[in-house]
Formats: sequence, C-alpha cells, structure tokens
Amino acid sequence: MESLNHAASTEAHLEVPAGKCVITYSKLDVEKILSTVKDDGSGAIVTFIGTTRNSFQGKVVTRLEYQAYSKLAIKTLATIVDEATQQFHRSDHQPQNETTKSPPLLKPVVYHRLGVVPVGEPSIVIAVSCPHRKEAFRACEYILEEVKKRAQIWKREFYEGEDERTAVWKENV
Amino acid sequence: MTSASPTITVLYFAAASTATGLPYETIPVPSEGLLLSSLPKLIVSRHPSANDLNHILETSQWSVDAEMIDDPEFVTLKGGEEVAVICPVSGG
Repeated sequence: MESLNHAASTEAHLEVPAGKCVITYSKLDVEKILSTVKDDGSGAIVTFIGTTRNSFQGKVVTRLEYQAYSKLAIKTLATIVDEATQQFHRSDHQPQNETTKSPPLLKPVVYHRLGVVPVGEPSIVIAVSCPHRKEAFRACEYILEEVKKRAQIWKREFYEGEDERTAVWKENV
Repeated sequence: MTSASPTITVLYFAAASTATGLPYETIPVPSEGLLLSSLPKLIVSRHPSANDLNHILETSQWSVDAEMIDDPEFVTLKGGEEVAVICPVSGG
C-alpha cells in the first residue's frame, strides 16, 4: 500500500474567539463534538456530518485517504469560522436592542479527519450553536462551502480492482 | 565549492507529491533570489520524467511560509523559505 504519511500532514487544533478548529487522525465522535458547542443560551445546534461514499461513477470505493498541509489548513479553518461569525451574528427577526444587550452566541466548531477514512465514517463535522436557527443554518453552510473551496486538504479515492499507484486525487469544483 | 548557496524547502501534497514521488525537497536558489513565478519551471527541470507535473503546477496555487500567495510575480525567494504547492483542494 502506498503510504500517504506526510510529515506536514499532522494533527492540529486552533481555538479562536470565534470558534474551534480541529484536524485529527482520530475517528470523529459526533456526540462528543456536539457536547462542546452545547450552550444553555442557545436555541439551536445545526450540524453537518460529511461521510465517505462507497461508489464513484460505478466504481467501488475501497477506501479514502485525506492529507493536509496542517499548518496552513488550520489557519484557513479559523479564518472561515471567524468570517461565519462576523457575517451571521444577527438574525433577521431578532430585535435590534437584543444585539446591544447581549451579543448572540454563534459558536461554530469544525472537525476534519485525516488519514484513512473507512467508507461510511464521517470525514468532516461542523456544528454551530446559536440562539436563532436561521443564522446557524447559514453559518454552517457557509463554513462547509468555504472549507471545500479553500482548506488545504486533499482526498484520494482508491477503487476496487485498480492499481493503487494510479488512485485519483480528487478536486472540489 | 563550499559556499553555502541559499536553499528553499518545497512541500508537495496530493497530485504534486504523487507526480514527483516526494513529500518535499530542498532546492538551491540563486544568491540574488528567485521569483516564485519562476519556480515551476525549475521544479519541472528537476523531474523530467514526472508525469503531468507541468500541468499540475500550472493549476496549483502557492504558499510561502504558510501564507497563501496572490501573485507569484511579486514574491522573491531569497533562501530559507518553506514553499508549498497547493493543488486544487478536495477537503470536506
């Protein structure tokens, strides 16, 4: 098996005022991740769980591997989380004076897994807690789309019956 | 000659790593510096048999010392930098 062990593809975590970002080789524990964003002041937690698919254009995917330039990717994740909290900090139906009294607690976390991810297991988990659902949905979608576009993370798919050396590095389009 | 020629470290990920067969390499740069925009040609010349490397580098972005670079025409590598080839990403 061709190894993707890359010295620069390491575990990383970064907590910024806006939220928390983690890049890890460990299996993503959704319950545990949700518990870190739970907040009694929040009325909603919106969660996105991206899992690995078992097929691509009729081919059977035997496994997927993720690699990252972790030092840079973790900074990119933090920037995205920060942008999300800036953009979606206030709900349309939220009274203006509520904002001045107590700023809404939009609290996102992003976890991305590295290394071999068996089919069906989560590769990314995004959880956003917020007093109002609308901005939590928007922030969660914004974070997902921007991570797919910008985070320095790469996925390789291995197909049944194909030479591993020719396994394809995917590109998000 | 023993003069310490300046070098940079170039990191390869994903398709760039598969094509070169390397996770990284150390590359000497001229003492007057090297434009980042001239680096792809230099990398290709070091890996003449690497499959599709030219195309991979053309479609990639670049980072220097873990900062994304908007315009490689305006960045001069003087030695000591960590440069990374950022192929089109596929996280998520």
